Amino acid sequence: MIIDMHIHPIFYGAVCEDSEEVEFRKNAFGVFKQSPYGYEEMFAEMDYAKVTKSALLPLDLTTTEGGWVVNNDQIAKLVSDYPDKFIGFASVDPRREDALNVLDYAFGTLGLKGLKLNPAKQHFFPNERWMFPIYEKCLEYNKPIIFHAGLSWEPNAITEYAHPLKFEEVAVRYPKLRFCLAHFAWPFVRETVMLMIKYPNVYTDTSVLYMDSPEESIQRLFTVDMGPLWTDRALHRQIMFASNGPRFRQFKILRALEKIKMRDYAREGIYYKNALRFLGEEVEEW
Amino acid sequence: MVDLQTIEWMSRKPEEFHRITEEVHQIVEKSSIKNGLVLVVTAHTTTGIMVNEGLPCVETDIADTLTKIVPLEAEYAHAHFLPSYGATGNNSTGHIKSLLCGNHCVFPVVDGKIACGGAQDIYFVEFDGPQTRKIYVEVFGD
Repeated sequence: MIIDMHIHPIFYGAVCEDSEEVEFRKNAFGVFKQSPYGYEEMFAEMDYAKVTKSALLPLDLTTTEGGWVVNNDQIAKLVSDYPDKFIGFASVDPRREDALNVLDYAFGTLGLKGLKLNPAKQHFFPNERWMFPIYEKCLEYNKPIIFHAGLSWEPNAITEYAHPLKFEEVAVRYPKLRFCLAHFAWPFVRETVMLMIKYPNVYTDTSVLYMDSPEESIQRLFTVDMGPLWTDRALHRQIMFASNGPRFRQFKILRALEKIKMRDYAREGIYYKNALRFLGEEVEEW
Repeated sequence: MVDLQTIEWMSRKPEEFHRITEEVHQIVEKSSIKNGLVLVVTAHTTTGIMVNEGLPCVETDIADTLTKIVPLEAEYAHAHFLPSYGATGNNSTGHIKSLLCGNHCVFPVVDGKIACGGAQDIYFVEFDGPQTRKIYVEVFGD
């Protein structure tokens, strides 16, 4: 079993009826020269990568750019089409006046499983006080948050907003709030690891392919940026498999991970067990 | 006269040999063109069009030889993020194997049929799947 915890369903044909909306997504997300594709093609990609479920992430840019890069209702539609294949996340622009209502609807009515926020793109510091009600709403519903962290390729995304050190106060103030600093907050891998070894509610994911081939990038991540035994010894409960499709391909990240030496329990954790715990579907005492 | 048709096919693996011999022959035989040429061209840069004997062992030998010439792990310059795509490259093996394989094949059309040897199968070869792919088949002549 493998769960991919980071997919942007920008080109999923079932939510691409409006070509102007797709064009908005492409420009806002900064992904080009790709076209909508159907379920058969996305499932072929998942099957080859041995991915059983994918977490689908929307992004609400209402106040900054006037639209969504896939909205919460569209995520719920995809999940309702294939509930055994998809895990639906919500998003909210935290500056919206109705942000908490958006989350009540997403979690309470649509049944979405977590929240996706991108501080770099949505232009907020995660440790700002006005963000705290958002986190408390997630705690109320026991929903985790996936934060984009580190470098973002999206246009007008400011990396300073998504630096790992901006998240420490959130980890301290809300120890029961499970959150993921996606992409190991690359290039701030050491800072991300610092938070993970101190705060068990901080997770990360493997979608790190900013330079080099998948093999070179993942090898460097697991043996140079981190010590080669750090995963086995300390981080094996907090790293989740993720590809960041459509930017990176699932099977290439998996192929690279398969070449990394690690203990079976660490690999199982990365491939699916940590995702289940992150989603609140399994509870494990530390 | 010119008759242009397309074949669509979805690969399910990164590399796959897919025979399109029958489809190409049918396109030629349904065409009103009786004498001329048929051109089979891929619409992509990480796929190939190949003519060879349709045997699994031949496919294996060709695939293995291409991988020896173009190994998965090498210092390819294309292994980086492409801002113009918003996605990573990392498919150099597909591009180079496509180059070695070629992007097209041509056959004579005589009396409404393809003139070819009995062992000549036409392959569409995937080098960067899984993906939905397009092949152009153009018949031109009289």
